[in-house]
Amino acid sequence: MIDRRASRAIGMRRGVATALVVAVALVGAACGGNRSTAKPSTSSPAVSTAGSGSSASLIDTSNCPPNTDTTGVSGDTITIGTSVAESGTYAPFSAILDGEQAYIDYTNANGGVTVAGKKYKINLVAKDDQYVASQTVNNVNSLLNDNHVFALLDVVGTKNNLAIRNLVNTQCVPDLYAASGATQWGNHQYPWLIGSELVPYPLEVRRFVDYLEQTKPDATIAVLRANDDFGQSYADTLTQMVKGTKLKIVQTQQYDSAGSQVTTQVNSLASTKADVFFLGATLLACPAALTAAQNAGWHPIIYMSGTCVSKVLFSIAGAAANGVFSVTPLLDPAAPVNASNPAMQLYRAQVAKYKPKADLDDGIVGYGWTTGALFVKTLESSPSLTRSAVMETARTLKDVSGVGLEIPAAKWNTSANDWFVGETFQFIKYDANAKHTDPVGSLTNDDGQTAKLTPSELINQ
Amino acid sequence: MTRTQQQAIRLVIAVIAVAVVVQFFAWYFPTHYGPTDTRLFASAMYIGVAAMGLNLLTGYNGQVSIGHGAFFGIGAYITALLMDHQYSWFGLNFGHQNFLSTIPTVAVVTFVIGALVGFPALRVKGLYLALVTLGLAVVFPDLATRFVKGTGGTSLVSLTSTELAAPRWFPSQLSAQDQWAYTMAFAFALLGLVAVWVLARSRFGRSLIAVRDHEAAAASVGIDLARTKVTAFALSAMYAGIAGSLSVLVVQNASGDDKLVTFQTSIEFLVAVVIGGTATVVGPLIGGFAVVYIQKWATDAFPNKPIISPATFGIVLIVLMYVLPDGVVGGGRRLRGLAGRTLRARRRRDVNPAPL
Repeated sequence: MIDRRASRAIGMRRGVATALVVAVALVGAACGGNRSTAKPSTSSPAVSTAGSGSSASLIDTSNCPPNTDTTGVSGDTITIGTSVAESGTYAPFSAILDGEQAYIDYTNANGGVTVAGKKYKINLVAKDDQYVASQTVNNVNSLLNDNHVFALLDVVGTKNNLAIRNLVNTQCVPDLYAASGATQWGNHQYPWLIGSELVPYPLEVRRFVDYLEQTKPDATIAVLRANDDFGQSYADTLTQMVKGTKLKIVQTQQYDSAGSQVTTQVNSLASTKADVFFLGATLLACPAALTAAQNAGWHPIIYMSGTCVSKVLFSIAGAAANGVFSVTPLLDPAAPVNASNPAMQLYRAQVAKYKPKADLDDGIVGYGWTTGALFVKTLESSPSLTRSAVMETARTLKDVSGVGLEIPAAKWNTSANDWFVGETFQFIKYDANAKHTDPVGSLTNDDGQTAKLTPSELINQ
Repeated sequence: MTRTQQQAIRLVIAVIAVAVVVQFFAWYFPTHYGPTDTRLFASAMYIGVAAMGLNLLTGYNGQVSIGHGAFFGIGAYITALLMDHQYSWFGLNFGHQNFLSTIPTVAVVTFVIGALVGFPALRVKGLYLALVTLGLAVVFPDLATRFVKGTGGTSLVSLTSTELAAPRWFPSQLSAQDQWAYTMAFAFALLGLVAVWVLARSRFGRSLIAVRDHEAAAASVGIDLARTKVTAFALSAMYAGIAGSLSVLVVQNASGDDKLVTFQTSIEFLVAVVIGGTATVVGPLIGGFAVVYIQKWATDAFPNKPIISPATFGIVLIVLMYVLPDGVVGGGRRLRGLAGRTLRARRRRDVNPAPL
């Protein structure tokens, strides 16, 4: 039995030994460190706006960190970044990456993109955020600080983009073509974020409400929506659009966006025997809801969010998806009528070449391909390869057509008063027997309408 | 040299070593390592803080909780909302506060909520308590979605750079946003550590352990079971709430409406406690580092393979449980015990020569 003094001495000896070991290790580690001493100051504004163009420019660079306008461009490589769910419940959205990367590989193989007379190759760095907003922030911080990206492309998710909105605006990094049709991207306080060619949710809703007014003006509507902001967008705009019509929303049910359990909610909606079933849902919840409605013996007119237009999701629903309405800004890769379209043939050939495992018939892959094409087009149209010039170009698109799988007759425009790209789209209906969508009616041209249709409190959130 | 002199020298060496360690982390690290490293370190710190609190409840007091992600989320929301929004309740105007002034509110609110949860928890034990706390982790995101009106009309509260920036009185060499987040996380981790050390050695700490090991015996010597257990819950909730507040500085937003994330965070805290060493003072802090850095290592070791890295993390955890069943601190003690025994054996041979 060791006496107390000795045990205290031994204890102290052990403590000292541990502390010494740690201290020596730290002194050794002190040879490391990678902090750049040039800290961009965010407090004082830059003296002059380098490369911002004319005084009538939409992008105000006076509060941007100095010397960052050409970050991400080194030699003849442009590095861009994205954050998308590559694993987890929302992993099917990673098909966007397949299409995007394929377009970038195709561009690089043909010499690269020409900006202001010089050719550049594009390098896309993708990070997984599992659709979790805080992880998107981590990823974007890492992309900016470690990978020094020039811009962000096609970051997926409304909440994810909202989480990085402040960051990209303070650091003046273009967040190009965010994969979300939310109305918040029209908020003029955040000029460095622009939404992609996805149809803005209010336009979707309005098109469907128009259809209802023509075919069943006194219909009752039952709504299933995700319990997050995505679902909130739909619910708010639907409520807005049916004002002043004879259409009536009889019940709204929410489902947990973390999963796709919708059966109870759909059963409840089915019991109202409403004429219309409006689905403000995405990914796996869509086919689940369609199947649940069929099982409940309910056969309403169904409208489904444009984000669900994908061969994968349709095939899960099978016959339950027959006759479902939606919208798309792009050509449906699964429709045979589009097979002879040269843009479609290019898409199929190149994606098969660079991403052989991708499903060519999946509309989500086609969307990624088109967004990649839109990005390259924006670069090509930019007067110089700086962040502010490229952002300005994205904000002043003029009659952009023939990009990726864009519907041939469509023209995409953005301007000082029109912050939304995908305002020209096709109302479609799914044919479960033929396994593709068919257009209903003519092309809807709602260019510039999103800002007019949506109450400002929904935009300026 | 007398024994007192030897002890004095050892004390001096210990103080110098500790000073070097603290100086390194408080000053050298944030000024020489980039934002990614400081953010990672800060996240390890705040997970450690929450784990230290959970350790008081689970390690010292034996009440298993897998719902502390909810308290974490509550703390994060309170801080983010107080910093970002303006409120006017019952004639009181408040809001747009700086970070440090939100901490007392977070501490009080999470303490009270923890106590409120602790009372019904008195009735259930073990597995059933774990399930009840799981319910907490599941209910909280629903409440958040319903009641939090954050950025862009969602239940995400995103902060602007001005709000996240270091205050004016902060030394300019440490005034970048990530350095400020790092310093706050480090400061609160140290505070939390000292508090746990004091608590563990106090009468309260001993009563926690007594209640854990033998409730009937503890009650028979006059320990108030209800008060001990509820206080343990309240304290652990407070630690988790403050960890949530710290996370707002690091992640730049508060987002508590994802059930899976709340659940995952709760499990991470528990994992940190177990890896570090239950019922040890510094163990959970080490566990926080383990959780964050092993996950980072697993992600970096397998880039572009989104399934393999979490699987690797799982495998590492299983291996650690076999190799270090008492956690890192327990393993450290055994290692030093082994070294001590070897040294002592040698010394005894030297001191006691073979008998004639």
